[in-house]
Amino acid sequence: MKKLYVIVLLITAFCSCTKDISFDGNTLNGKEQLFIEGILYPEETAKIYVSLSVPFFNEKVLPQEIFARNAQVILSTDTWSEQLQKDSIFDKFRCRWVPFFGGANIIAYGKTYDLKVDYLGDSYTASTTIDQPKVNLSGVEYVENFYDVYGGHDGVIITYTDAVGSGNYYRFQMDRMMDNTRRHAHVLDVIQNNCTQPGEMFQTTDLGRVIFSDASNDGASVAQNIEVSFEYKQGDSTTVYLQSLDKRSAAFFRDLDEQLQSILNPFVEPTFLHSTIEGALGVFGSAVRSDPYGFMYPQDNP
Amino acid sequence: MKSNLIILMLILNGLHAVSQNGTINGTISDAETGEFLIGANIYVTTIREGTTTNNYGFYSLTIRDRDSIGIQFSFLGYQTQIKKVLLTKNLRLNIELQPMSQSMDEVVVTAEARDKNVSQTQMGVLDIPPAKIKELPVILGEPDVLKVLQLLPGVQAGNEGTTGYFVRGGNADQNLILLDEAIIHNPNHLVGLVSAFNSRAINNVSLVKGGFPAQYGGRLSSILDISMREGNNKKFSGEGGIGLVSSQLTFEGPIKKDESSFIISGRRTYFDYLIKPFLSKKIKTNYVFYDLNAKVNYKLGENDRIFLSGFYGKDDAFYSQDNIEYNLLIDNKAATLRWNHLFGSKLFSNTSLIYSGFNQDITALQDNAFSSVLSGIEDLCAKYDLEYYPNQKHKIKLGGQYFHHTFRSTGDSQVFANTGQTPQVQSDSIPVKRFNEIALFVNDEVLLTDKFSFNAGIRVPGFFNGPTNYFRVEPRLSFRYGINPTTSVKAAYTMMNQFLHLIPSAAAAIPTDIWIPSSQKTKPQNSQQYAIGLFKNFDDNTFESSLELYYKTMDDQILFREGNQFIRSLDVDNLLVYGKGWSYGAEFFLKKSMGPLTGWAAYTLSWTNQKFPDLNFGFKFPFRHDRRHDLSLVANYELSKKWSLSGTFVISSGSAYTVPVGRTAVINGGTIFEGNYYIYEERNNARLNPFHRLNLAATYKKPRTLFGKKYDSEWVFGIYNVYSRQNPYFIYFDINPATEKPRARQVSLLPIIPSVSYNFKF
Repeated sequence: MKKLYVIVLLITAFCSCTKDISFDGNTLNGKEQLFIEGILYPEETAKIYVSLSVPFFNEKVLPQEIFARNAQVILSTDTWSEQLQKDSIFDKFRCRWVPFFGGANIIAYGKTYDLKVDYLGDSYTASTTIDQPKVNLSGVEYVENFYDVYGGHDGVIITYTDAVGSGNYYRFQMDRMMDNTRRHAHVLDVIQNNCTQPGEMFQTTDLGRVIFSDASNDGASVAQNIEVSFEYKQGDSTTVYLQSLDKRSAAFFRDLDEQLQSILNPFVEPTFLHSTIEGALGVFGSAVRSDPYGFMYPQDNP
Repeated sequence: MKSNLIILMLILNGLHAVSQNGTINGTISDAETGEFLIGANIYVTTIREGTTTNNYGFYSLTIRDRDSIGIQFSFLGYQTQIKKVLLTKNLRLNIELQPMSQSMDEVVVTAEARDKNVSQTQMGVLDIPPAKIKELPVILGEPDVLKVLQLLPGVQAGNEGTTGYFVRGGNADQNLILLDEAIIHNPNHLVGLVSAFNSRAINNVSLVKGGFPAQYGGRLSSILDISMREGNNKKFSGEGGIGLVSSQLTFEGPIKKDESSFIISGRRTYFDYLIKPFLSKKIKTNYVFYDLNAKVNYKLGENDRIFLSGFYGKDDAFYSQDNIEYNLLIDNKAATLRWNHLFGSKLFSNTSLIYSGFNQDITALQDNAFSSVLSGIEDLCAKYDLEYYPNQKHKIKLGGQYFHHTFRSTGDSQVFANTGQTPQVQSDSIPVKRFNEIALFVNDEVLLTDKFSFNAGIRVPGFFNGPTNYFRVEPRLSFRYGINPTTSVKAAYTMMNQFLHLIPSAAAAIPTDIWIPSSQKTKPQNSQQYAIGLFKNFDDNTFESSLELYYKTMDDQILFREGNQFIRSLDVDNLLVYGKGWSYGAEFFLKKSMGPLTGWAAYTLSWTNQKFPDLNFGFKFPFRHDRRHDLSLVANYELSKKWSLSGTFVISSGSAYTVPVGRTAVINGGTIFEGNYYIYEERNNARLNPFHRLNLAATYKKPRTLFGKKYDSEWVFGIYNVYSRQNPYFIYFDINPATEKPRARQVSLLPIIPSVSYNFKF
């Protein structure tokens, strides 16, 4: 779309000129802000990602470079409290370490969790209650071609019955094992995934970009087209879930999706991220996973 | 409402009681062409009172003293005529004014009525003489009324090179553009580089930006009232021009001498041929624009005249390179049938039937991605206006207007299968929205004393769209207090409503005019404007000056909600967010209208902000086209009888746009979301670089002879953007492939562009 944008200019003038411009420090060097990501899943331990924002024109932002290692992260309920510990996991798809603060306690459905992050003398707090309904998938089918507001895709169609009562928000999750010959279907950055050998399998999680609500189909059977993120071959086996998100987290991920579109498409309005955490950027919330649903790709990706 | 009518009847009765005196009425026209002069001045020297001709060249003046009186008739660019008449009964006085010619240089001529800007009640009105439009240097040598408009105080230009303009903080859709009373929805050619108005076919241009009289409505911020020429009813003549972008030809003449005439004027570009040498062979392109203006009028009798005018303009563009294809089709059309009738000597009526249409079809293909925007508007309008001149103290206008609007708008964006068949949006599949609009108005311009006058009016517009109906009442008030003959203070209050909305985009700079009507959710736009001004002339009317202060509120404004594309759904209301705007500022104007050096300086200091609960975290933010300082300098110098020089210089603060202040990495467990995201702290938090540009032109005029016949010729040499300033058009962000750092890229249009054009008139 950016090309189209420039083409219009070519039509309108003999000559257009493009040049890099700089900004004064006051405009763009926004103060360093804490960015917190924490989605709690029942029956799992907590993983909270805490990082620092960088001025817009800084170079590439890597998780290990911006990790807020001096932060103190405390997760508590009405019965217990624990300080989360620094930990990391190696992302074999992107070949990089991803640091986070991890907990030891198992997250439970029906509880309210309070997050407190202390960093450089300031405290940032948020709270979430895990009470959203668990909604199971009734089917997953392959679709070779479908259109949505993002364009044309291949992917899957998931079917489920919405929980009665309005205000439910869902997103798709697909877990699978794959090797480095499978690429990301959306190359937003040049991904260096040469740290594993072809054939060496590792797990990936694909979370859907679209947040869908039950605003117009409360309690109804729903069939939803889903764009998938990674390349596949016939026979690739996957496990599919439906995540049920709390309302504020759903709004945050919708912001992310819309901002992604505005970054890629000049015709889309800029989107601000609306934080769910007082004083800091980011999201703290919860998601309830459906039971797993097995799905095997019937063909290679087109 | 009932009480208003009673007041009106009392006023009219009162007026009748003093209307037993003598009345002079008639028309003022050009002695060479017979065309009516709009806004010409009639001034009774013996009683120091006067009036001006209306939009049809008609005037009426009732004088209390039935004795010998002296009357002065004047108009810019014409020799003033003084008549002494014995007013023993009502008198019809049709005046023909002689235009100033090169041979008349020695004659001292007053260009305008003495201190007209000081003595008239209305404020916020700017008249642009067609002669001035042709004099000033503009892009590619093409005279352009909208470019001249952008040099006036309170009028701010949009993007570099475009004809869009913003008046007192209002959006571009808040400007009503009328050509012979017909609404022109898109006044552009060449994607906004050139206006759709052929300056050779224009008789009068008037911009109202505040203190709106009640006959005007339907837009919040300004009314641009353009009248087409009627054609020479005395002899056949023609004129033409060959320019860098386009050429034009105009013919006019009498159908029946002194009674009816015609004018036809056409213009066509050859921009497509000019651009080709600058493009690579891989690029195929074609850009054609043309327009046609035509008008006939016929005098049915002493009291009746009919006019039929039409306008058609079209842009047809095609661009193709590799796997990219771009098509643009825009057409504007308008037709007006008018009947002027005079009831006696004091009551003038105008009945108009008007059609206007606008269609836009923009289609883009890239690889197998397809995007299309279609927009169409058709308006049918009937208007009936009465102008009543009971005595020299009152000028009453009342009337009614009815509009029937038809809208068709849609957009589509998709990735299509590679079957060799390109998707198309079928125009007959676009849902049609129809709605009606009416307006009733009455306005009285009252001269209470020599020093104090006011203009009071009321307009009642209504909107009907199925179950959605809106009625509004709009009071209009203007006051003038004359401190002395060359100084006055004026104040005005106006309320305006607008039932149409142009969906604005914060991101895209290309033309995507999607108009929508008001609905249950999208309320009519509303504004209130307060203005006060000091008007002072110096040096025997050589210098005119004014300082106007204004404050304007704009409610029920629309913007796209964050993350929305400009079109994605037919149910557009759900993509919008609603808020308000407000603007305030000061406008300074200094004009020199006599002598070899003429011109003006216009400076505007203004602030425009908006507040939307669903945008910018609910905090106020600057309007996209908010420019703190805006200065225009315009000069024209008559070097000799043959040579004249002109120049314009503009400098203004950069307009606002949104820049992220930081980036953050979203991890979220290794998903499609993983990547770097932008942190925005405030909408429109940055400013484009200041805009400044100098244009110069030199004109060489010489009478010539061809085949024994004399004709006037004129060479115009121009330089646009003399020092090739790279003014910002827009800014976008991307990742530098070499360093992987984000970078901001500024796109500029229009470097230095020399031009030459040749005009002739016979």
